[in-house]
Amino acid sequence: MENFAHVDELNLVLQLIESGEKEKLMELLRERLIECGWRDEMRALCRAYAKKKGRNNVTVDDLVHVITPKGREKSCISVTSNFAISTSASSVPDSVKAELLLRIQSFLKSVPLDAL
Amino acid sequence: MSALNDGSSSPRSQVTIEQRASRCFDDLLESIIVDVASECHRIARLGLDLNLEVEEEELRLSAQARMADPSCSSESNSKNVVDIFGQTHPPIASETFNCMNCGRPVTAGRFAPHLEKCMGKGRKALTKITRSTTIARNRHARGSPVTVYAPYSTSTNSNIVPEGTPRTAREEFAEYTFEEP
Repeated sequence: MENFAHVDELNLVLQLIESGEKEKLMELLRERLIECGWRDEMRALCRAYAKKKGRNNVTVDDLVHVITPKGREKSCISVTSNFAISTSASSVPDSVKAELLLRIQSFLKSVPLDAL
Repeated sequence: MSALNDGSSSPRSQVTIEQRASRCFDDLLESIIVDVASECHRIARLGLDLNLEVEEEELRLSAQARMADPSCSSESNSKNVVDIFGQTHPPIASETFNCMNCGRPVTAGRFAPHLEKCMGKGRKALTKITRSTTIARNRHARGSPVTVYAPYSTSTNSNIVPEGTPRTAREEFAEYTFEEP
């Protein structure tokens, strides 16, 4: 089952990219996050971190970890049996997340997937 | 997995859709997080953010460094300016090399005036013109306030004006070409 799920996942990614849907989703998410001020919050966090640690001592990795909360358990495309839909960033507004999830789900439903 | 339209699908595959949508969302979010992080990293490293405390501290440090430096600031000692590598340069360049036009050894500080004379005389085509340019220059010194681009305009002049025209006519032409923009 896990193997199939993995192939299915890759297939989904390919379909997203090829149909251009991934790009649209990305743009939509980016726009919403800017509008709701999430991006500014994250930048403030980064700035505070850089101030604390010293401007020339920060790495991109550090900042990614600053922004990504500890509650996140999985990396981008990994197959886990985690059924909990955990929030991947603490301050992403629910409305934004809901909108994106809805859109992704409708895409998943509308596109026939050949795997399995 | 065939196309599913709505809740008529089995609960298991429904959960799978939500799960996959969530993973997909996480994926998108991670990309955006990396974008923001790398932008912040760039701003931090380049010092582009208006981080007042840090800037103030840097200003303070540089002011201290300047005070501690015995050779003073550039305003008071403009003749021997220290550059970023700690070297001082004399105000007049004294290195000697050979002019690439005439081959004579020349001091760097006198190179520009040397070139003025060197390139003006170095061409055969201009030896004929120099006489007319000096005459034209004298005329202009007496008359109009127009600046003299003598070698070049008169050389083109000599191409346009047909041979056999008296010298005065050529000089008239010289005057008119100066007035053209």
